[in-house]
Amino acid sequence: MKLSTTREALSAQLQAVTRVASTHTAVLALSGVQLHAAAGTVELRATDLEVGLRVPLEATPERDGDVVLPARLLLDVVRSLPSDAVTLELRAAEQDVEITSGGAVFHIRTLRAEDFPPLPEAPGDSTVSVPARAFVDTVQTVARAASRDETRPVLTGILVSASGRELQMVATDSYRLSVKRTELEEALEGSFEANVPARALQELARLAQGGEDRLTVGVGANQIVFQVGGAVLSSRLIDGQFPNYRQLVPESFDHELKLAGDEFTEVVRRISLLAQKNAPLRLAFVEGEVTVSAQTPDVGEARETVPVPYSGEPLEIGFNPDFLRDGLESLGGGDVVLKLINPLRPGLIEGADGSGFLYLIMPIRLNV
Amino acid sequence: MRLIVARCEVRYTGRLTAVLPEALRLVMVKSDGSVMVHADTGGYKPSNWMTAPTVIEETPDGMVVRKLRGEDRLEIRIAEVVSDSEHDMGEAAALEKDGVEAHLQEALAAAPEWCGEGFRLVRREWPTDIGPVDLMCRDSEDGWIAVEIKRIGTIEAVEQLTRYLERIRRDPAMADCRGILAAQCVKPQARVLADSRGIAWVEVDLDVLRGEREPDLTLFA
Repeated sequence: MKLSTTREALSAQLQAVTRVASTHTAVLALSGVQLHAAAGTVELRATDLEVGLRVPLEATPERDGDVVLPARLLLDVVRSLPSDAVTLELRAAEQDVEITSGGAVFHIRTLRAEDFPPLPEAPGDSTVSVPARAFVDTVQTVARAASRDETRPVLTGILVSASGRELQMVATDSYRLSVKRTELEEALEGSFEANVPARALQELARLAQGGEDRLTVGVGANQIVFQVGGAVLSSRLIDGQFPNYRQLVPESFDHELKLAGDEFTEVVRRISLLAQKNAPLRLAFVEGEVTVSAQTPDVGEARETVPVPYSGEPLEIGFNPDFLRDGLESLGGGDVVLKLINPLRPGLIEGADGSGFLYLIMPIRLNV
Repeated sequence: MRLIVARCEVRYTGRLTAVLPEALRLVMVKSDGSVMVHADTGGYKPSNWMTAPTVIEETPDGMVVRKLRGEDRLEIRIAEVVSDSEHDMGEAAALEKDGVEAHLQEALAAAPEWCGEGFRLVRREWPTDIGPVDLMCRDSEDGWIAVEIKRIGTIEAVEQLTRYLERIRRDPAMADCRGILAAQCVKPQARVLADSRGIAWVEVDLDVLRGEREPDLTLFA
């Protein structure tokens, strides 16, 4: 294998695939990036066996072939090259790849190409084409609520449903639930529902930042494949029953308050600075106002009172500051509707403009 | 236990040869025949030692300790004795489990449902011929469940429970006995190994078990 390319092109594409390459693996090849040159094209590939990514590289292949190189090291080397023109050539006898750029020459030992698994091709005929912007925005709205706890794998995914003119995504880590319904301008030709690892969708969101109009989705029995531009991202689907989120949303709430979203988010951000070491953020509602406060022993305390249209018996409720902020930030500005029942029942955050977003959040018990 | 503080030189011969030059040291001779030579530095580990069973021979120069079988030999040449005393240590008490582990066992025995829905305790310290398993429970369908309790759930804990289960399942009446590792924190490697062996695991919070702290509020279990 031999190819010529530019430092800029190689570095940009390497950055994308390196994120997918495995960082903790017994199979060394999975920590690598595969350079695949064939039929006049070059592709970079990486996988950690859960998520796989293939991206095209603008390059001139002079000799076909495959090599696997340590992803992180290759990225660091390429970023540091002195000249824009880069040549990579496999030296089979030495079992390394020679990288030359300007006067710099690197020899990097290859990883076992046989250990690098084949990645799925681009989705075939049974695919659904969805608007990329709407898909990415929906992912970014709910992704923060997905769990990072690998002991409950079903919660590490985002339940994606697409049908007709509706795209819906749901994520929950059992402490909060995020649901976003996006109405599409045109009806989709086809439909699908799948629990996709949040990590894969966040990676897809990064890939789609390039301004592609549409992305293609192909769903198999245990795998989903996305194509955006020339990149193909594949991911295994998550097994298991996703929680029945519809029954988690209380039918009625005792208090419903319309708040200025940006202003309230800023208050929460500010006061949260003093809610450290798992300390809750306290919201004390009395007639016409709410006092947001936090206290961390040995660190300090903060409080801020803002007017809100609250009426009724005083109510004090505690939330995880990060979770509350996530919910408010996911709305992306505009007026917010905050619905509450009591200090031990979930609160609901919605956009006042009927944006199709709802965020259900469990409180934290307050000892005092 | 004999404790000798002496200026001595120690020579070991056997799988290799090692010499501790003459210096002030503590020689511990235990009643089970093991001998350890300690310096005042170097942490808990002896500078040299010989594990039991040994043959100890007193000589005019000091003592020679030999392994009952093999070529290992520890020769202690004593130049000056500072102190030589013998103490009757009595019956040794067994090692007690650390506080958290013992408290976890106590709390889970009182509330075995934290290990699984519908669990009820049959016995604490259920005996097997290689040692007792912490809890033996039955589930709602009368199935047997052996629960091993640790502060930190490690691969070794999974191995230990695997060994217990192998012994317990020899009894045809308990051939379907399941295993659960209960710990305050189960290490990722232990989770993988437990899953691969069909052993369940559960993380429990002692403060919650004791009722000192309410469990976190969640939208669903």
